[in-house]
Amino acid sequence: MAESRPWNTALRLLQRYQGLAGLALLFIAAYYLSGDFFSAQNWVNILKQLAIPGVLAIGMTFVVLTGGIDLSVGSHLALLNVILATWAKHGANTWLSCAYVILWGVIIGAFLGWLVGRLRMQPFIVTLGAMVTLRGIAYVYSDRSIVSGFGDRFDALEKPLLGLPISGWILIALTLAASFILSKTVFGRRIYALGGSETAATYSGVPVNRIRIAAYAVNGLCVAIAAILFTARSSSGQPSAGLGYELDAIAAVVVGGASLFGGVGDAFGTFVGALFIVCVNNLLQLRSVDTNIAQAWKGVIILLAVYMQTIGRKRPT
Amino acid sequence: MKNLRSYIVPSVFAAFALSGCGNSDKTATAENPSLPLIAFAQANSQDPWRQVFDKDIKQEADKHSSEFSFTEQEAEDDPKKQIDEIETLMVKKPKVLLVSPVTEAAQKAIEDAHDAGAYVILLDRSIPGNKWDVYVGGDNYAIGKMAGEYMAKKLSGKGTVLMIRGIADAVPTKERGGGFMDALKAFPGITVIQGDDCGYQRAKAQTFMENFLQSKKPFDAVYAHNDEMAIGAYLAMSQANVPAKVIVGIDGCQKEVVQDIKDGKIAATFRYPQPGAPAVDIAADFLKGKKPSSNKVLLPTEMVTKETADKYLQEHPNLAD
Repeated sequence: MAESRPWNTALRLLQRYQGLAGLALLFIAAYYLSGDFFSAQNWVNILKQLAIPGVLAIGMTFVVLTGGIDLSVGSHLALLNVILATWAKHGANTWLSCAYVILWGVIIGAFLGWLVGRLRMQPFIVTLGAMVTLRGIAYVYSDRSIVSGFGDRFDALEKPLLGLPISGWILIALTLAASFILSKTVFGRRIYALGGSETAATYSGVPVNRIRIAAYAVNGLCVAIAAILFTARSSSGQPSAGLGYELDAIAAVVVGGASLFGGVGDAFGTFVGALFIVCVNNLLQLRSVDTNIAQAWKGVIILLAVYMQTIGRKRPT
Repeated sequence: MKNLRSYIVPSVFAAFALSGCGNSDKTATAENPSLPLIAFAQANSQDPWRQVFDKDIKQEADKHSSEFSFTEQEAEDDPKKQIDEIETLMVKKPKVLLVSPVTEAAQKAIEDAHDAGAYVILLDRSIPGNKWDVYVGGDNYAIGKMAGEYMAKKLSGKGTVLMIRGIADAVPTKERGGGFMDALKAFPGITVIQGDDCGYQRAKAQTFMENFLQSKKPFDAVYAHNDEMAIGAYLAMSQANVPAKVIVGIDGCQKEVVQDIKDGKIAATFRYPQPGAPAVDIAADFLKGKKPSSNKVLLPTEMVTKETADKYLQEHPNLAD
């Protein structure tokens, strides 16, 4: 069976740098479709809009790399958002409130990872249940109301520093940290091992349950950071926040070149994937495309991206 | 080559995606760069009241197509999406920005737009502060109060009302509920059971009603924050063969609910006035240099009952089906 070398290499390269390829295609399309896309004001907006989905996507990367998924990040964000807003409204110290919210993000994330591992339950099912439960708790906690009126104490996060809002710098710092952890630490390598083959990882002595809990905990930490940024951006706490955010996060991870089977992917790819999704949204809005048609396109793009990743790949053992 | 086959499927996908590249904006008149732009950030385009809203506003904008271009984006009730959309719309430098805020969260984005020099008109829902120019909408509190007074009269001052609520953290929900409760303060013989948040959706209200009927708690009437939920409640009751109760809704934007009122299934609804056309007229006037006498334009409501149903249909031919 003669394998075609040049095609193979091209395919592998495309899979690896899928996000960048997609972004390049998008920029070419944008050049012809919208005069406003490349304006400075638009790019400031894009970078502002990138922070929240980007941070969620970085967290999701850790989970997807282990071969799992987390459908609850939207609801999780809403819960942490209303908690933070409520504390702020009652005058609590800003740093303390953020720390509290981060603590809960990690706890909830770790708990989900534990449920998946120890109880041998499918991540899809566990996090689907969490999606519903956390949303309900958010509504109860906030007494079904919007929490607002805590002034502008979080505004600093949106202020620009050297042209980029602080929230954007946070995303960049998080991406660099995630990349370092994933590529240069034992923890990172173990995540890839777990995602590549859980059986093989277990036999090699990787403490798979602990690694999984840690991966989901990191995701929870990212959800908390995203919730803080969301609170800053919308100046309020809303139990209805974050609906559908998990889909954008997963889409970003997949477009960025990760495999939903686990074991393949990286932080920079996710960053590019998130940028791609935000740019797609932005371009569709600039072109006044109907929201529902826009959703259909995003679906096609995601399918394409997932398909690209599955060509020539084996299912995990 | 076996690998070539694996390119067929992605190519098909790509073809699908690219085929949509043509003009797919059904809510914008073709944007003419030489005309001033009026941009509209809609909260959602799903529920029937908003569909009539979109139709009305597009019709009115088309009448002025030689004076300005019009474009619309909807946010599917996601406040962050709305903030993103307002920012993106502002890149096009519209002279007038119409916004129907999803929630107060849009406040900062709206204020930024106001600071950037756009004339800001709020439709249907307001925001705190005063960095906006005109508010056009109905008075949900007054409507809730009228509904309460009507209910009290219908029940002769005694009875139990089940209130089915709309989206929990939305301002109209609080006002439609608040006005109703305040009206009933004068009628101590009436008690209100606080029902669930059914998101202004028919199916959710129907499910809620079915479960409520199982609990066999006695009640005499239903007050739903919108017609869709009122219809949902009616459907649940009729399927459970529960004897007819007084049902009151709000919106009055669907032919279906007016028919239900004529058939005696629903007792009354209150028109929630459409701000789309009046807002576009205010925007058109602004471009000609005229400003409204007050920055709060409150549109009147109408009560629709069996007696007034036919006349209502004649006056408002643009209702949703």
